[in-house]
Amino acid sequence: MAFDLNVNGTRHTLDADEQTPLLWVIRDHLGLTGTKFSCGIGQCGACTVHVDGQAVRSCSVPVSIAAGKRVTTIEGVSSDGNHPLQVAWKEFDTPQCGYCQSGMIMSALALLQRRPNPSDSDIDSGVTNACRCGTYHRIRQAIHMAADLMKDGRR
Amino acid sequence: MSGNRLSDFNRREFIAMTAAAPGAFILGFWAPPQANAQTASPRPVWYEDSSTPEINAWIVISPDDTVTIRIGQTELGQGVWTSNAMMVAEELQCDWSKVRPQYASANRDAREKAPEWTLNVMGKGATDPNGGGEPGFGNRDRTGVSGIPDTLYRRMRTNAASSVKDGRYYLQLAGAEARERLLLAAAELWNVPLPELTAKDSIITHAKSSRTTTYGQIADRARRIPHPNPEKIVIKSPDQWTLMGTERKNLDVPDKVAGKVVYGIDVRVPGMKWAAVKSCPVYGGTVKKHDFDSVRQMPGVQSAVQFPIPDPALTRGRVFSGGVAVVADHWYQAKAALDRMPIEWEIPAANAAFNTSSMRAALLAALDRPGRVRVTQGNVDDAFGRAAKVVEATYSTPYLPRARMEPGNATVLVTNDRVDVWIGDQSPQETRFSASKITGIPEQNVYVNLCHLGGGFGRNGNGPQAEQAIMIANAHRGTPIHLLWTREEDFVGTTYRAMGMARLKAGLDAEGWPIALDVRTAMQEDGFGPESSFDVASRYYVPNYRFSNHTTKFHVPVGTRRGIGQAAHEFYRESFVNELAHAAGKDAYRYRRELISRTNLPYKDDMIRALDIAAEMSGWGNALPRGTARAIALEERGGETNRMATISAMVHTVSVSREGKVKLVRVDVAHDTGFSLVNPLSVKKQIEGQITWFYNDAMHQANTIKDGQIVENNFRAFPLSRIDEDPPEINIHFFKTGHWLLGMGHDRATSVQSAIGDAIFQVTGKRLRDLPYGGHDLSWG
Repeated sequence: MAFDLNVNGTRHTLDADEQTPLLWVIRDHLGLTGTKFSCGIGQCGACTVHVDGQAVRSCSVPVSIAAGKRVTTIEGVSSDGNHPLQVAWKEFDTPQCGYCQSGMIMSALALLQRRPNPSDSDIDSGVTNACRCGTYHRIRQAIHMAADLMKDGRR
Repeated sequence: MSGNRLSDFNRREFIAMTAAAPGAFILGFWAPPQANAQTASPRPVWYEDSSTPEINAWIVISPDDTVTIRIGQTELGQGVWTSNAMMVAEELQCDWSKVRPQYASANRDAREKAPEWTLNVMGKGATDPNGGGEPGFGNRDRTGVSGIPDTLYRRMRTNAASSVKDGRYYLQLAGAEARERLLLAAAELWNVPLPELTAKDSIITHAKSSRTTTYGQIADRARRIPHPNPEKIVIKSPDQWTLMGTERKNLDVPDKVAGKVVYGIDVRVPGMKWAAVKSCPVYGGTVKKHDFDSVRQMPGVQSAVQFPIPDPALTRGRVFSGGVAVVADHWYQAKAALDRMPIEWEIPAANAAFNTSSMRAALLAALDRPGRVRVTQGNVDDAFGRAAKVVEATYSTPYLPRARMEPGNATVLVTNDRVDVWIGDQSPQETRFSASKITGIPEQNVYVNLCHLGGGFGRNGNGPQAEQAIMIANAHRGTPIHLLWTREEDFVGTTYRAMGMARLKAGLDAEGWPIALDVRTAMQEDGFGPESSFDVASRYYVPNYRFSNHTTKFHVPVGTRRGIGQAAHEFYRESFVNELAHAAGKDAYRYRRELISRTNLPYKDDMIRALDIAAEMSGWGNALPRGTARAIALEERGGETNRMATISAMVHTVSVSREGKVKLVRVDVAHDTGFSLVNPLSVKKQIEGQITWFYNDAMHQANTIKDGQIVENNFRAFPLSRIDEDPPEINIHFFKTGHWLLGMGHDRATSVQSAIGDAIFQVTGKRLRDLPYGGHDLSWG
């Protein structure tokens, strides 16, 4: 069926089964491949995007839940790759393979929107994505740095 | 071509044919209408651009001074994209900010031989700072899967923590050769003597005449000037390095944080169809029949392709499974149809009889049989007769997969005269060989287009995703096929580190020092690294020592998972030393220190230094709160010889709550740099990552076998730790040694395993010897 989807501020008219996972509409129909597929059961969070500002594991929800709402993917976080989270991520040279990092940044962004000055335990409970390379140590530092940058009003 | 492909063609004939010729999957008589339409392949990858002067096979310099450096290994998070470039750029003396990596062409590698000047390693081996170290190149074997010593880019494998240790000398040479030719070009242009020129940051200066030029301006001239005597080129030793040895951020990180990096899964080729795959969940099984007719009307569905067990000659002898793919316009359509398609399997009864409990019993039985004795020193049996105390312990480690975040995938286009494979691959030369064997198209016409990998952890190229995709695409010549495994399928398609057991028995004298040590390890016969960590000599002094391997036959395809046998063996060894120290009533750090000092191991001073530094960093001996304990361990690779080696020691501080919750709270790391690291920042990240890796091995992860099948096949049953389990404090101290490093990408932080076990014992009195520790009742008090 045809329906409208607003992704990163752009309206798309799509023809896809409404039960199609949101992830595959984003990756396959819209060609936005920054959002990753990994477990397919909402466990790992590599597919995390925002729907109306809420972090959603897009592999496990039908595209229909996003109809009429605002979807944000990693490609929509900033136009220049310099959102404070991205700046902080670069500062700590955070990614290794990088595959989980889009989802990780989307989770961190949702956390910072909820809690602009997160404690370590806020991070523990708010960023529950999996990273196989073990970049957690730098992710934590990067989130704290991003919070500081955002407080300074740079974004 | 519209609608269904192979299925329309004649599914019954197809099945009959694969049954008649297992392992020889050829459909020469089937050709779709557009089979010849696409030979020039689109190149969707982001790093491609080549219209500029190539100085040598590794270096292209464009007029704007951009230096493109070709990378022969695959970036999978270890930082090779940056460290390989650093090794070239150090010698090239170019402006680092203008460096842009690009994957080397595996096709060109099939067509060209390596330059003569890269074939000989200069210097005197592991302990010569001026030389090339001791790269390990084997001879190419007849199946094409190992070795490959003299093709253009030498080894294109990314394995065994070898990218720096094997590649350094020829990457430095490549940079130096290009620099010398750029200087020659400037000397010729200005008609001045070569020694009067200097090169720095991509600028060549003739001080006497105050003239300068840039690499970009002179590159076109330089490419036409051969080096007069390339065999005389000398590479810089670490004391001359200015770029190598400094912390450099990884060059692909800006793209990674913007979601722009193209992994294999992201490849899009015009006309591409998607394939979802189901292989027989019991290894060695095949498809008896499948009912494509029942799903062919589902949206987007095109065809089904049944495929045999990938030829073991292409997968290092491993026997995976046969299976069936559904091909559709979109992957989720293919998957939806595959999920609904009835499939009957042909399952070998012997393989279906394997269960973890029976396999464990078989390994235990193997430990009791005579094994392959690899080391005998002194008289072990006599010495046990004199022992004041005998300590014996049996340990086990489970099957473990890579479980990289990016599920296995490959995009393949086969036409009648060419194969293109787009893949993140740790062994593109082997994939090239597979593509040629399966399609009958010569390797010179196979293009393995490398992509970044979403995690590697051990030569994933030997899983059969490429072979499956090539078989499917070969049945759809002219149509690019993007195969993608589900997570569940990835657990079937990966290779596993072999399940293992070990029985260690020591006789102690009245003072608690070992006088006899009998080490028996058991794993399936094709497991990797059975000799690790115990071979040649005991790392801890014992006058009477025997080490034997014991094997049995299992059906699980095993492979080079991060750390191979060593990760398990260091767990056995260091756990047992902890038990000996406890039995002797001695401090586990000082006990180790004394035993190493009594050996004549060539690098024993480095081992002691590692222990001393780690102990001091950790505040070893200082009081800790109740419920918290420290444990120390030695990690070494190559420590038994005077060749290349990597040595580290770690102290892990671990708390166990009264409720039994384990927390790794702090890690203190003392790590050998050899003569020098190339990119210390990448090494730190690798150490941090391996702490997480082996923490997962210690606490959470195991694959069990039921009725011949892998049971845990997604991240619910096979958990990955999250940020809440990350140690809040990691301290890393590097110390310099007098040898080249044997790599550090896959067997650092194995100590997490033994250390958590020992800390649990110190706190709770419970000695756990089977990994993982999670799931046990560890409450106390």
